[in-house]
Amino acid sequence: MQFDLIGPISPAVFSTLVIIAILSVIFIIAGLWVKKLDPAKTPKGFMFIMITIVDFFNKFLGGYIPDKKRFSFFAPYLFTIIIFLAVANVSSLFGLTAPLSNIGVAMSFSIMTFIMLRITEFKFISIKDKLNSLIGPVKVLAPIMIPINLIGEFSTPFSMGLRLFVNLLSGAIIASIVYGLLGWFGGLFAGVLLHAVFDIFFGLVQAFVFFMLSTVSLSMASEA
Amino acid sequence: MLDTIFNSVIRFATEYNEHFSNGMAYLGAGIAVIGGLGPGIGQGFAAGKAAEAVGRQPEAQSKILVTTLVTQAVAETTGLYGLVIAILLIFAR
Repeated sequence: MQFDLIGPISPAVFSTLVIIAILSVIFIIAGLWVKKLDPAKTPKGFMFIMITIVDFFNKFLGGYIPDKKRFSFFAPYLFTIIIFLAVANVSSLFGLTAPLSNIGVAMSFSIMTFIMLRITEFKFISIKDKLNSLIGPVKVLAPIMIPINLIGEFSTPFSMGLRLFVNLLSGAIIASIVYGLLGWFGGLFAGVLLHAVFDIFFGLVQAFVFFMLSTVSLSMASEA
Repeated sequence: MLDTIFNSVIRFATEYNEHFSNGMAYLGAGIAVIGGLGPGIGQGFAAGKAAEAVGRQPEAQSKILVTTLVTQAVAETTGLYGLVIAILLIFAR
């Protein structure tokens, strides 16, 4: 096999870049706009939608992370994750390739989760507590428990990234098989069902599941 | 007995190398997705319990729904590993 260091960009990475550009423009505009808003008035239109989304998210996450310090540390990261994933997973409706159907994009999510977990541990718990949790409650079993716990540290983010990848990939494969079998005319009718199920429903569920698992594992990592 | 079977398999493999490996890969892909049985049973069990819980406490429906989704996604992982192996066997040889 041959690898080029700088090859042509794969379609999944291209659509990732497009989504990142669009989302950053939207949210930078919203962030600049929200500073100029009059707090006494009800916001309208675009800002009303943005504020509703953020407010709903804050209320939902507050039910799971009541602690104020942890909340203000986790909420921006988790909000970025869920917004990006929700847009990325439905992006194949707009003619882009689903970014998570490329394992490179999915594994970058695992790496992000891994780094975020380590940052959380350094920020919220001491090194001594972390070592104690690695050794486990029984000190005699330490030579057995330490490798198992270290594998556990890596396998959680890895399985989270892999879950995203396989769910989106299986949807893409089934869709392409059905389109290949039916041709363009049958595809017109089958596409309604396929994209409703695989892109909208499974995509949004996977985005939500990734967000919830990140929430759970982050709050567990901060308390261990 | 086992030895002769093994030897005949090896001879078969060397004779029909390419077709044999293709066929075995597809067979292995088919066997790998049998792993979907376990998550199917487990998810069905979790969904049944969630339905029971909603029937018992209808006011806690949203929390039960969230918990069910997350736990089912975790239970799904083993089946997805089987699917990964099947996909690798078919497409990425």
